[in-house]
Amino acid sequence: MQIISAKNIRRSFGKDNLITHVLRGVDVSVAEGEFVAIMGKSGAGKSTLMYQLSVLDTPSSGELQVDNTDVINMSEKERTSFRLNTLGYVFQDYALVPDLSARENVMMPLLMRGENWANASKKADEAIDNVGLAGKYLNLPAELSGGEQQRIAIARAIASTPKIIFADEPTANLDSVSSRQIIDLISSINRDNGQTVVMVTHEREYALGANRILHMEDGVIVLEEKLR
Amino acid sequence: MRSLRIGLLLGLRQIQRANIWTNILIIFVMMLTFLNLIAVSGILVGLIAGSERAVEEKSLGNIIITPLDNETKLIQTETIRRNLETVDEIVAFSIRYQAGGRVEANYKTRRDLRQDANSVGAPIVGINPTDEDLVTKLSENVVEGEYLNEQDSGYILLGSLTIDRYTAGFADITGSLEEVYPGDKVKVTIGENTKEFIVKGIVDSKAGAVSSQVYLPESELRRLSGQVDRNGSEIAIRLASKDPVLADNVKNTLIRQGLDEYAKIRTFTEALPKFITDIKNTFNILGTFIGAVGIVVASITIFIIIFINAISRRRQIGILKGIGIDARSIEIAYILQAAFYALVGSALGTLVTYAFLVGYFERNPIDFPFSDGILVAEPLGTLIRFIILFLVTLVAGFIPAWIIVRKNTLDSILGRK
Repeated sequence: MQIISAKNIRRSFGKDNLITHVLRGVDVSVAEGEFVAIMGKSGAGKSTLMYQLSVLDTPSSGELQVDNTDVINMSEKERTSFRLNTLGYVFQDYALVPDLSARENVMMPLLMRGENWANASKKADEAIDNVGLAGKYLNLPAELSGGEQQRIAIARAIASTPKIIFADEPTANLDSVSSRQIIDLISSINRDNGQTVVMVTHEREYALGANRILHMEDGVIVLEEKLR
Repeated sequence: MRSLRIGLLLGLRQIQRANIWTNILIIFVMMLTFLNLIAVSGILVGLIAGSERAVEEKSLGNIIITPLDNETKLIQTETIRRNLETVDEIVAFSIRYQAGGRVEANYKTRRDLRQDANSVGAPIVGINPTDEDLVTKLSENVVEGEYLNEQDSGYILLGSLTIDRYTAGFADITGSLEEVYPGDKVKVTIGENTKEFIVKGIVDSKAGAVSSQVYLPESELRRLSGQVDRNGSEIAIRLASKDPVLADNVKNTLIRQGLDEYAKIRTFTEALPKFITDIKNTFNILGTFIGAVGIVVASITIFIIIFINAISRRRQIGILKGIGIDARSIEIAYILQAAFYALVGSALGTLVTYAFLVGYFERNPIDFPFSDGILVAEPLGTLIRFIILFLVTLVAGFIPAWIIVRKNTLDSILGRK
């Protein structure tokens, strides 16, 4: 069953004679529970594609259904609510709120979904335990290493058990040991929880844990590589 | 409710984690703004309040009884006196006798009769020194020499504005006595009658009327002016407290006794010269204007603080929206910060006002020519300013947050313009 279905997605920036076409008609389908990696050189359009699929941006044209919902014609408020209830995000540079403790960062989406404080706190601690950082609940992001911050970001993404997790170059700012740990963690989330994962990466080594690799070049998918 | 909970958490943590010195500086600015609202208008109004207080304490008393419009004296003064003695709330009253007259000094050493005499025209007031002192504490205003006592005969008190060295250059306009000191002899002329008196003391007060008059024992004045009856010119009444409600009650009691047939009975507030009320209203408007400027400055300050705070966290705001935190939660976080700064700053300002400034100006009033200026900070007025500053600050905190939050989520995350 398809959880993401994108047809002829185009995304352009600028106007008049200064238009840049970043996506030039992309068709993508992602099955529920699948782990898809998107690869390509800088400027190939892989991050832009992920922003469209993750409902952070709106395509200039095309059709996009995520979890059987037409997300293109949603209002900004509806999109925010959809992201909260359906999607989880892991950004390149961790993107934690610096003023909040690790636990509070993870609790944010849970509280927004209406969980009471005690439940949200319990679930946040469990998620932090699951990413291997038990006992670091009260640490501020600045008190954690880069790898630890990215784990907290992953804990935040998985705490509310979203259907799809989007990871935008999650290892870009990490050393090789931390990167490996993060990739293993994302793979295990997909494998153990059955959550769909869409990940953008530069490194083929890290993409090998995915079911499929989509290779992009100049705004289109040029190769689809099935790994398992 | 969810938005409120998350907004409060985000806002609280931002305040907690912010640089302590930044927080102190912002709160200090808010405190100064609040003080600007309270103190500037409070001192302006306080200058007039000081003048009012001087007139009430030193001249009119809490209630003043004056002749009816078509009379020059109080009719049935003795009847009025007997009635006043029956009212418990009246702690003292002073019957005053007034006449226009002329005071001349240094006449014995005047060699050239073609030159102007060293004299001044002034209201001459006859008083019972003890009664007057109970009502106005006139003895406390004697700046040279001594106060009169009831046994005194042939002594006079001169108001400082009748003496050259106290008039600060206004003597050319008003006329004044030169080189007159306690112990000197002066001639007082009322109508056709003249008598020599010894200057016993000089009286100076911020209430101009007190300093411009000349005081004699009442029997001396009646004798000099040829008054055969004991009808006075006015009666100043001191009550047990300055409470305006008490003054109204006592006034009504006196009216019920029928005294308004003989005289006009007015509370201090009713008898206050109109120019003082006008100045007070003008200063109030001026104070409000200055306060309004202060509020605008405060709101701009908060706007800039919150705007810089929000713009520097634009990416963080984008990410929060990205993970599904709604715009309202983020706006509440910034409104909470603005509210925190406004509340703490205003609370400190209130504390400084009531714990320090009001008392300080009470002990060290501003020496103004017509009053001892104090700081007037009515609790209700302070509360209103508190609320206004708070509301304005909330708006000033909301607008920049709203501007930043409504920007495109992805643009915020990527730092695109």
